[in-house]
Amino acid sequence: MSEFLKLEADAPATLGAVVEAVTRLSTYPEAELLELVSRGRIRELFPFRPTRPTDLGSDSVAEEDLIEASAMPLSPEHQAALIQSSLPSAAKPPRATPSRTRRTTKKAYSGG
Amino acid sequence: MSAQPRRFTRTAPSKADRTHSVDIRMTDMLASDAAWWDARLGPKHARNRTRADRFWAWSVLLPLCHLVQLAKRRYCRPLVVWARADSGRFVRVGMSIFIEHYPYLDVRRRLDSYFIWFMSAADPALLKSDFGMTRPPALGRVLLDNAIVLSQNAGLRGRIGLHAAAAGGKALLSLYAACGLTNLAPTAPLPAEVKRKNDGRFFIADEAHAETLAALLDPRR
Repeated sequence: MSEFLKLEADAPATLGAVVEAVTRLSTYPEAELLELVSRGRIRELFPFRPTRPTDLGSDSVAEEDLIEASAMPLSPEHQAALIQSSLPSAAKPPRATPSRTRRTTKKAYSGG
Repeated sequence: MSAQPRRFTRTAPSKADRTHSVDIRMTDMLASDAAWWDARLGPKHARNRTRADRFWAWSVLLPLCHLVQLAKRRYCRPLVVWARADSGRFVRVGMSIFIEHYPYLDVRRRLDSYFIWFMSAADPALLKSDFGMTRPPALGRVLLDNAIVLSQNAGLRGRIGLHAAAAGGKALLSLYAACGLTNLAPTAPLPAEVKRKNDGRFFIADEAHAETLAALLDPRR
């Protein structure tokens, strides 16, 4: 998973620590992770420290500047782009497929 | 289910005045959305002890959820809900992270569903005072509807599940019940993959129920 490499670029956590944490946390039930996060304990278990952005951008956005999410399942390529964009080092947002675009479920899942 | 894929809703009733509709839009969540939420809303939400999400740091959650589910060979679908403020521009008002193809919590049927892992709505009072939104939208049903629509469009016929965080207490259970979800009995077994004892805080919507809930919002799509 090349996405892991992105974590190290902007975070003081070492790559090894992040991989180890993800491996460990992936054994937790999702409901258990929800509870840990809600008790404020996730930073103890996941050593990822996002860099605070210097510019948060405007609080509001014009409608024409919003890239609406598709209500269809995403292609694996689009999923990969979204994962990269979830990491602060990957500043380039993916171009979301407009929700008007129709894709068949079968196609969307091929390779997923 | 509709012949055509369903779209997300584009309006929601105002929380204070249900006869008034507020324009809303959904976008895929990026790191910048999570950073904005954590900086502009997080510190104020953290002061509210009644909020189940008071300690949620979305800029940590977003990569964490993606990576943990990738390790399980599943994908997450994180979404942001925006609403039109008095200025005519859109402001972030809701955040959610769903898991695709999660085991359906009704163990009698070995099927997949969408699991609503995290979802959060901005404090309406804060939207009024700090972001110029006189009439913030009611988001509970919208956030659930997003998961139902994605589940339907993915061929999972609207099946969804979620776990209500203990920090939300009885109020959160009441909220999900009021939104039309079915609370799994505490005695109900869970799928083996869920690896968690049933604490009575799991909710589901089956196919028929999901369709009913989605159809109620069709005029708003």
